[in-house]
Amino acid sequence: MPGSESDSDSVSAESTPLEEADRRLESGSFSSGLTVPDFAACLQMGLRPVGLVQGFCVMQWGWYSAGSQYLRGANPFSPGGGPGVYSASWRCPHGMVSAEHRAWGQNYEQPWVESAWAQGFGSAYERMLEEARFAKAHGVIGIVDRTTSLSDMGVTEFHILGTAVVVEDGPPPADGVPWTTYLAGQRLAKLVESGFMPVAVTAALASVRVWAYCITEYQMRGGTSAWGAGMGAGYGVQEVDQISEAHAAVRSIARAHVRRGLQGDWLHGARMDVSMQRVDEGDEVLECTLRGTRVRRFRQADPLPAPRPTVRLG
Amino acid sequence: MSEQSRMSEQKQKDAKDAAVDLREEMLRGAKALSGQQSPQGQHVPQGQQDRQGKGGVTSDLSIDETLLLHAVGWEPVDLVFGVSTVSIPPGWWNWGQGEIEAASEAHQRAVSTASSRLRHECGQVGGRGVVGVRISVVVEPSHIDAELVGTAITPLTGASGRSRGSEPFVSDLSARDFTLLHRAGWEPVGLAYGTSFVYVPRRSAGTALRQSSQNVELTNFTQAMYAARESAMERMQSSAIAMGGTGIVAVQVTEGPMSFARHAVRFGAWGTSVRLAGDSHHYADPQVVLPLDDVVVEFEAQSLRN
Repeated sequence: MPGSESDSDSVSAESTPLEEADRRLESGSFSSGLTVPDFAACLQMGLRPVGLVQGFCVMQWGWYSAGSQYLRGANPFSPGGGPGVYSASWRCPHGMVSAEHRAWGQNYEQPWVESAWAQGFGSAYERMLEEARFAKAHGVIGIVDRTTSLSDMGVTEFHILGTAVVVEDGPPPADGVPWTTYLAGQRLAKLVESGFMPVAVTAALASVRVWAYCITEYQMRGGTSAWGAGMGAGYGVQEVDQISEAHAAVRSIARAHVRRGLQGDWLHGARMDVSMQRVDEGDEVLECTLRGTRVRRFRQADPLPAPRPTVRLG
Repeated sequence: MSEQSRMSEQKQKDAKDAAVDLREEMLRGAKALSGQQSPQGQHVPQGQQDRQGKGGVTSDLSIDETLLLHAVGWEPVDLVFGVSTVSIPPGWWNWGQGEIEAASEAHQRAVSTASSRLRHECGQVGGRGVVGVRISVVVEPSHIDAELVGTAITPLTGASGRSRGSEPFVSDLSARDFTLLHRAGWEPVGLAYGTSFVYVPRRSAGTALRQSSQNVELTNFTQAMYAARESAMERMQSSAIAMGGTGIVAVQVTEGPMSFARHAVRFGAWGTSVRLAGDSHHYADPQVVLPLDDVVVEFEAQSLRN
């Protein structure tokens, strides 16, 4: 960053990145991330591209030490991470107390991970919107968001970009906040034609940590064990309740997070991605991201005529 | 002006009138969002009213799929899923004869449980079925993970939905295929599936040594594949019949060995079980079209050289 030798954390006294972006956006020519067909469709809809706008945020995930508030809920007697936060416990059926025997297990939501992700995504999104606002854009179309792990130190980069557009002869957006969408081109045209208007891109992450108890450990390890055999686990075909519940919970929580922000609108083109990091046999960290475009009906559309099947010759 | 040209002009005028003015629509949408214009005709179907009270409709369908479903009287309700992890007891993979029963049973149970959870979720959100279900099954040595994700749909208010069953259906057909099926007078009933894991008998040391320098068919593998195929297909058909289907469409298969078990093979088959919604099949009566697009003639630089 220019002019920042004296203090690596400070921003240049001469110009901030936003001011530099502002100068670029004011230059008179436009830039766009649209493909040529999407650009053509954009003009057809009366949308004038004004610039490629972007937002970045690099977040570091903190280290959770013993006794940290981040590990709340991680014992068999606590109710979990607070009201409304998912947590479930499993107790060992063997009556055994040993350092090597997992006498209890717990699934719990990690709201601190979720809020850190939301903060990273939200900051990058807000910075992109700020550039769009400066360009006096009414909306941002064709948004692409990337989440990249920069190192194995728990550092994640959020990068959101899209093409800021102005609706020809259109009013400024409510509260000056441009509408945003993952869609562009003909897909956006069809959305508008069918009576929906994009409101904002919406994304949420849910994180669930699984601490396996003895039965889950035996079931996931697939090894023989007298403890497992005694309880029927380790020998029979059985559902691994703790894991199944965690997988269902992480998806359900992500959907609930997104739903809370919809305020009665639709989530169009939802995409759900789930990742699993295995820590030990049965011990897992599950993360689910759900994203899509929040859309609002502005006109009741009549159903299209029933489609007519065709067969191509040639 | 001849009658023919007058008709042609009239047709062009009608087409222009029928076409939606996209600029006008975008402007109207932007005004509605900015609060300058109240949304028009805010009729919200009953199913959506319920969902909106809880936080809105979620759907992974494309806009084309949503419009297609709308055209045949259906609409999305919610993104739903079903997951299940089932354990496989130890010591089953490498030595034995015939079917690896524990693995087959675990697979069947994982998919069946995930499917019934998907169906249950669909019922809870007021859906009558789930379309476009993506099926992901991961086979590990000690467990099998099944995940089914799709969009629950319901008939538009006033539309019959044509479903005879009370249970929501689960289908991996796309909205396009669902629409065509619907038009032909059929309805999806559920997801039919069957999987079988079979041991591949080991050859004797003498046979293995003798065949090591020959190009020969490994009949032990071939026979194991056939055995797995028969069991899996039979299970899939039985599951279709059990749920009241009369046939299965869009069957997909997966087969082959597994990296962690060199002497075991797997065959899996799944598809959407269907039945007639009415008394008889409706012929789709497709219209034959002849596209007039020019074939792109590519210039080849090589042609300049003799």
